[in-house]
Amino acid sequence: MKHLLRAIVLILAAACAAAFAADGLVIGAVYVGSVNDYGYNRSFHDALTQIEKQLPGVKLLEAENVPESGEVESVMEGLVRQGAKLVIPTSFGYYDAARKVAARHRDVAFEFAGDGDTTGNFGVFFGQTQRAMYAMGVAAGRMTRTNKLGFVIGVPIGYSLGNVNGFQMGAHSINPKAQTIVVVTGGWSDKAKEAAAANALLDQGCDVVSMHVDSPATIIRAVEARGGMSIGFQSIEARALAPKGWITGLGFDWKPFLTETAKRVMAGRFHGEAVYQGLGQMVVVAPFGAAVPAEVQAAVNKAAAAVAEGFNPFSGPLKDNRGNLALPPNATVGADQMGRLNWYVEGVIGKVH
Amino acid sequence: MTTTPLIISLLAGAILSGTSLLYATLGETLVQRSGIVNLGLEGVLLVGASVGFALAAASGNAWLGLGAAALAGAATNLLFGWLVVTRKANQLASGLVMMFFGFGVSALVGAPYIGAVIAGLPKWRPSWLADLDWVKATTLFNYDILTWLAVPVALAVWWALFRTRWGLGVRAVGENPAVAYASGRDPARFQYVVLLLGGLLGGLAGAQLSLSLTLTWAEYMTAGRGFIAIALVIFSKWHPLRAIAGALLFGGAEALELQLEARGSLISPFVLQMSPYLFTIAVLLAWGGARRLAAPASLGRTFYGST
Amino acid sequence: MSEAVLGAVRRKSDAARATARFGAITAIALAVFAAVLLVAGKNPLQAYADTFRHTLASAYGFSELLVRMTPLLLAAVAVALPARLGLINVGGEGQLFMGAFTATAGAFLFPNAPAWLLLPFVVCMGFLGGALWGAIPALLRAANLVNETVTTLLLNYVAPLIVGYFVFGPWRTAENSAYPQSARYPEAALLPSFFGTRVHAGLLIALAALALYWLLMERTRWGLAMRAVGGNPEAARRLGIAVPLWIVAALAIGGGFAGLAGMSEAMGIAGRLRQSLSPGYGFTGFLIAWLAGGRPLGILFMAFLFAIITSAGDTLQISQGLPYAVVNILLATILFVVLARRTK
Repeated sequence: MKHLLRAIVLILAAACAAAFAADGLVIGAVYVGSVNDYGYNRSFHDALTQIEKQLPGVKLLEAENVPESGEVESVMEGLVRQGAKLVIPTSFGYYDAARKVAARHRDVAFEFAGDGDTTGNFGVFFGQTQRAMYAMGVAAGRMTRTNKLGFVIGVPIGYSLGNVNGFQMGAHSINPKAQTIVVVTGGWSDKAKEAAAANALLDQGCDVVSMHVDSPATIIRAVEARGGMSIGFQSIEARALAPKGWITGLGFDWKPFLTETAKRVMAGRFHGEAVYQGLGQMVVVAPFGAAVPAEVQAAVNKAAAAVAEGFNPFSGPLKDNRGNLALPPNATVGADQMGRLNWYVEGVIGKVH
Repeated sequence: MTTTPLIISLLAGAILSGTSLLYATLGETLVQRSGIVNLGLEGVLLVGASVGFALAAASGNAWLGLGAAALAGAATNLLFGWLVVTRKANQLASGLVMMFFGFGVSALVGAPYIGAVIAGLPKWRPSWLADLDWVKATTLFNYDILTWLAVPVALAVWWALFRTRWGLGVRAVGENPAVAYASGRDPARFQYVVLLLGGLLGGLAGAQLSLSLTLTWAEYMTAGRGFIAIALVIFSKWHPLRAIAGALLFGGAEALELQLEARGSLISPFVLQMSPYLFTIAVLLAWGGARRLAAPASLGRTFYGST
Repeated sequence: MSEAVLGAVRRKSDAARATARFGAITAIALAVFAAVLLVAGKNPLQAYADTFRHTLASAYGFSELLVRMTPLLLAAVAVALPARLGLINVGGEGQLFMGAFTATAGAFLFPNAPAWLLLPFVVCMGFLGGALWGAIPALLRAANLVNETVTTLLLNYVAPLIVGYFVFGPWRTAENSAYPQSARYPEAALLPSFFGTRVHAGLLIALAALALYWLLMERTRWGLAMRAVGGNPEAARRLGIAVPLWIVAALAIGGGFAGLAGMSEAMGIAGRLRQSLSPGYGFTGFLIAWLAGGRPLGILFMAFLFAIITSAGDTLQISQGLPYAVVNILLATILFVVLARRTK
């Protein structure tokens, strides 16, 4: 009995090894949340599963709900050992671990979603949502009746603060009375607290709510239930959750970039670079909701077009919400500095620490 | 819409966040009154939330989900009961095992339904209340059955524990199972019944999170609320009516944190997030020795007499 | 047969029986979990083969088991030691975070100190942080104010928030990174690792802690005294043993070991302080200590088993597409069987 079992184990092991040795490319993706969440993780999962279908020879291995603790290093090592030649760590907290695994496996390409340094086999990429949020702010500024906009953020990192700032600057540009109230839940995915946070904002009189958490679903549904309006983030599919209150939203489209990356890896031409793309490339605007008038749509489209053509709202002089000069004249916040941004622009109600 | 007074928002937020805590606390209070500590409450909540959501999503009927959540919570607790009552295993270790079990089962059951859209339990607000301005601007009184029944259920638990022969039996078992046994009561039977009821309530607590508050399922979505409920049991001195105040206070602490932020408070969110835990310890301290009088005397101990 | 003969036979076959019992437990748990996998539409044989191939059957996989085991060993000793006094320490998670916190403070206090000075210093600081965090509930308990079970549990939620405050605020790295974390520790504060794997000196510390625990319990008068206090505090008090002092010492030392787990994760694995330091090692440590009945060898064995199971979670997820959390069912099944078999 024991021998039989051992034989089966060995045969199965050999069979797996053979399967992975076939031609093509194994892509390994690591997610901090669940891939069916209407949010950030789904945006990667959607792109990668389509690539798996469309590019011949591509096989996708995925690991969901991987915490940002020491364990992620062995998860990535496991992906490499199961044959992955392109690894995509999608959470900011995976950076250190990804760098270590990449240093051990020079023949494996790493494409890290976030910011950081690059090496020959380690590239970084991200969508510049902060500038695009300016267009979302325009939409919110036009649609609000109370002039109070709400913003729920999970973890107050530079990218989230930048999204809030872009949003407030856009709203202010078209509605000088607009304010953005920020509430922090403390985690990327604490659903019950997100629902409570959305309700707290509505209690404050906010009638338009946007968010930067892993999945916008809970907040959008909580806002919709009380007749508020929402501006989505992470995945444009979330509009299905708010048939009445949906205004518009930002989503990610990683497919073109990751397709290109996969092809390069297969052709042996991968070289790690820092790629930050904005509206029209990695960042896309969701369709408008039924309640959005044509003139508002036009204003949003105009703002979005300006951002896509290079308009950077993060240009000095800008004051922070405590009255200090946060960005001197002629200075701008570049894509590579956004992760470290640590102030709220004038008109935001909230505290950084 | 205008800014709602802080106190009104706090009340609304406290009820919103406190309802699931109340159900969970009531369930655990019942269980602890019979002398059993269930550290696995977090797992019961998760199983309730996930099974309830899965059934609601699969059938399109939130009521079905609600029933399934309660039954799933009860089943989880009965499994725990088999360990600690029948097999007389250590309660704390068994509780943690049930927590891990809940993590696993809820993830497996919920996985196919992540991202599913459900309607949730229907809400109802009396029309004479709906016209008041300060009600209109908040979630106050716009509740589904779980929220409306939370306080009545607490009253029912109180009545059952303190005004019935059965409740006397439960408390007798919790105080001294040997004496209870000697006077003709079967401790194991009382404990199983109490675990069943506690599990039903724990399952409802989980369902409140997935079917009412968030309308979503996500792994670990209870985020420690099961443990807060265990602290609340002690905080409310094992008393169902004080549990109402306790749940409101704890729910209110979360609401206060969010409201202060939304009003541009200068207090660090980290300090605010710690406050409920430190507050509980402070209260326990303030009660000091008197607290022990309220605790079931045989809490956490294994009774061997009935085998 | 006489009692003496029976006893001798029993002793002789103890080891064999223990092995058989463990084999049976594992077999039952694996069978139950296989049924779960079948229900989930997966091939259990394939799953087990994958797990075996990626853990025990490869040098790297084995080294990762040792890495995972390190914090679990320390977290288990943190529970087992106070348990000898009848104290229930459910606060390993918080003590772990505080250990990492104070160790970090130590590393940043003397960034230019040489390794032979800094390394022992941060190790001591790690112990100190956990010990202080454990001493709070201990003092409250010793003063007969609050039961330690509740306070240790509640303090678990406070410690990560203290770490959070510092990594978002004063200690936030100046590197170009969005992620809230401290700067890297100075090279001299890092625990050395071995053979090009992630196995680091924390494992030696953990084994030393386990050995020390065994020595204390089995070979010194302290162990005896602790057992006396745990068995009957009233009698111990009458014998002139200062019970409150023992309570504080046991919980503080236990907390110190959990603090070492945090220090070792920070200084040995992460290389900096972050809020995502532990996926619940403190709670797992409690289970290990309890399942092992506080026996040092049992702790070693259980920690290793838990390391295999959590590794299996990663493997199953990647190769079978199962949610990671499903592995908790396997964990729970093994524990069920162990708990259900034990009648004491």
